[in-house]
Amino acid sequence: MVISASRSPRGSRPAIEGPGFLARADLQVLFDLLREDGRRLIGPTVSDGSIIYDDITSVDQLPRGWGDEQSPGRYRLRRRGDERLFGYVVGPTAWKKWTFPALIPLTRSTHDGHKVSFEPEQATAPKLAFLGARACELAALGVQDRVLIGTEFIDPDYMVRRANVFVVAVQCTTSASTCFCTSMGTGPEVTEGFDLSLTELDAGFLVDAGTPAGRAVLERLPLRAATAAEQYGVAATVAAVRARIGDPVPTDGLHDRLLAQLDHPRWAQVAERCITCGNCTLACPTCFCTTLTQTTDLSGETALASRSWDSCFSPGFAKVAGGSFRARPRDRYRQWLTHKFATWWDQFGTSGCVGCGRCITWCPVGIDVRDELNAIAPPVPLSPESRLVEPVAATPNEFVTARVVNTKAETADTTTLTLTGVDPAFSHGSTGQFAMVALPGFPPLPISISRFLTDGIELTIRGAGPATKAMCALQVGDQVGLRGPLGNNWPLDRAVGRDLVIVTGGIGLAPLRPVLHAIVADRRRFGDVKLFYGARTPADLIYRDELERWGKRDGIDVSLTVDRAGPDWSGRVGIVTHLFDQAVWDGSNMIAFVCGPERMMQAASTTLAGRGVSASRIHVTLERHMECGIGLCGHCQMGKYFVCRDGPVFSIAQLGDTFGREGI
Amino acid sequence: MQDQASLVAVLNSTWFASGLEPGIQTRLAEFSRTFTAEPGQELFREGDESKLFGVVIKGRVALRTHVPERGDFTILTVEPGDVYGWSALVPPYRATSTAVAIEAVEAITFEGPALRAALREDAALAQALYPRVLVAVARRLNATRVQLLDLFAAEQVRTW
Repeated sequence: MVISASRSPRGSRPAIEGPGFLARADLQVLFDLLREDGRRLIGPTVSDGSIIYDDITSVDQLPRGWGDEQSPGRYRLRRRGDERLFGYVVGPTAWKKWTFPALIPLTRSTHDGHKVSFEPEQATAPKLAFLGARACELAALGVQDRVLIGTEFIDPDYMVRRANVFVVAVQCTTSASTCFCTSMGTGPEVTEGFDLSLTELDAGFLVDAGTPAGRAVLERLPLRAATAAEQYGVAATVAAVRARIGDPVPTDGLHDRLLAQLDHPRWAQVAERCITCGNCTLACPTCFCTTLTQTTDLSGETALASRSWDSCFSPGFAKVAGGSFRARPRDRYRQWLTHKFATWWDQFGTSGCVGCGRCITWCPVGIDVRDELNAIAPPVPLSPESRLVEPVAATPNEFVTARVVNTKAETADTTTLTLTGVDPAFSHGSTGQFAMVALPGFPPLPISISRFLTDGIELTIRGAGPATKAMCALQVGDQVGLRGPLGNNWPLDRAVGRDLVIVTGGIGLAPLRPVLHAIVADRRRFGDVKLFYGARTPADLIYRDELERWGKRDGIDVSLTVDRAGPDWSGRVGIVTHLFDQAVWDGSNMIAFVCGPERMMQAASTTLAGRGVSASRIHVTLERHMECGIGLCGHCQMGKYFVCRDGPVFSIAQLGDTFGREGI
Repeated sequence: MQDQASLVAVLNSTWFASGLEPGIQTRLAEFSRTFTAEPGQELFREGDESKLFGVVIKGRVALRTHVPERGDFTILTVEPGDVYGWSALVPPYRATSTAVAIEAVEAITFEGPALRAALREDAALAQALYPRVLVAVARRLNATRVQLLDLFAAEQVRTW
């Protein structure tokens, strides 16, 4: 926006560094400045027992002294006992009412004999100022920007309306029980998407500008510099709001967790409560679905096509001539929830939910989307197994060192090194990640981390070349150089509540060993766990003590096989896929982790697919030539991926027909 | 495991014989016998006449081959559901390996000459059984090829 600046604001008083303080009594000056600029002011006001957004002209129309109480299916105003103007949370109105109105004319058409003509309505928009937009609401405007004007085709009406809005944000100093902006990463701190921001204190406001337009207004307000105490007080208040909200919907892996649960029985259960009224979508600040309505005159010669908000909960929303694609309420609820929290990411690169809680408060039957998410796609407790940490010595020219405190010969050519004195980032690494391991004079090599300890890690190394042979020859007290932990992890969170099949061969058990440790540490969260492990000969089996313990004590169904054996071996001899190619399974609830030579992983994947495990739930870890480990050197490219950075763990569905193809 | 009905039921529980038509299962059961072996007991020896075709119900049978001066190698174990002694159906009816029970074994066996005669005379039986035998042998052939690749060797094995 442009403020008419007939006098230099800087000429009237010295510029204020940092946020300014505006006395509550002076807030009307802001109202007047914005109105002087030809803007209609939209802000909070009490109406019909709630705080809605509406046209206002005076500070006296703000909800002075009012707060709100919100819980699933419930909203009540209450007196705060103070003079706060913004002491409430968010009400039923969303700003999209002005940027994306519920009903707009779209096209006028006429029918004249054989001729038809169509005249688009010209998009017009009043100049508006939004007063009191919260952090979650700024995020919602950003989400609709992505959807409606952020792709190849734009919505001209939205574009014009949005360009004419000046946004005065208000940072939250209170929260409702329905808030979860903290989980969605949108609040309560106001960080972007505003022209001016206010944070309310007992006597007035801290004011900051987010754009040059906002700065121009700020400089015309009767401000004094905010004191350090005021700035500290605001930061502490907002921090308290964050702490009070907590993290009700852990979003780590939520996209995948949710999409893995399309058949969860809870969809049918929630649908028994849901009356498909669509209130959630109408109150939602990001929902953008619309429908067209034709209105004709009595002669039928002229018609107006209007666009109005629609809801994916409407019975006719997915209807075609043959019926509806989402006939049952459970289908419609699933569509809504999976779109908001999962497929929205795929389409628009952002979450469709901003955590404002309106769908919870304004649901007439009190369905709490947070409860549904946590029941359908339960979060995995944040543990070393489920979260990726920042690697140390990330760039290829630096290393941290670690000291060997134990060596264990697993087989004739394979040794497990226990390292301590390791940077804590390593202990907090995740299953399936690797370290770049270096000895002076040898090229650094990617080695899977085969165990995470509280103060160290283990690496299991097969001495195949000069560098790995040198590593296997390390003695207690020797040091190595490390970078990491690098790469992605096994999707253990997707295995929660499912049956897990682990298929591995040779030293391929090393990157899966931490998966088994994690399962054993929290066995009840997983269904049946089967480990199929093949080696060249009985002498080539690694972790023999642990294999026995996992099978005998830890409730893991361990099956071993070798390619050849002497007469003293009483176990199985044969290929690893024969351990399960005749099994009678319900593969629909299974997830599989596979690691071994690529030819073996291919055979295992084909066999698993034949047992009913879908390609998106068969995960493999790939080995490629790696030098940098962070996607810079280019060696490990496979199709569109760098194995080090995008992997090493991939689903078969991700890899498509590049998996197992020669010469890729 | 003695009466015919229970033999049919046991056969039907194996991947090898499950889903065969009831008439064929009954016919098979007519000349099948239950067989048990103690751990360590030799079932047949490489090169000998192959007299019994069997389906393992419980336990584990090792198929071994002898390499002079290197000793015995187990090249495959036969697990429940799988067959052994397929050479009893294919000329020259000589065992291609030595079979040793390495756990207590329960199996259902068929006399080679009797089964061959029945297969010659009964086209329906032959039509039902031969594809199963072929699947069992092909599965084993495939596995042998994968084992030949020696995928778990430390370095790429060059065979030429």
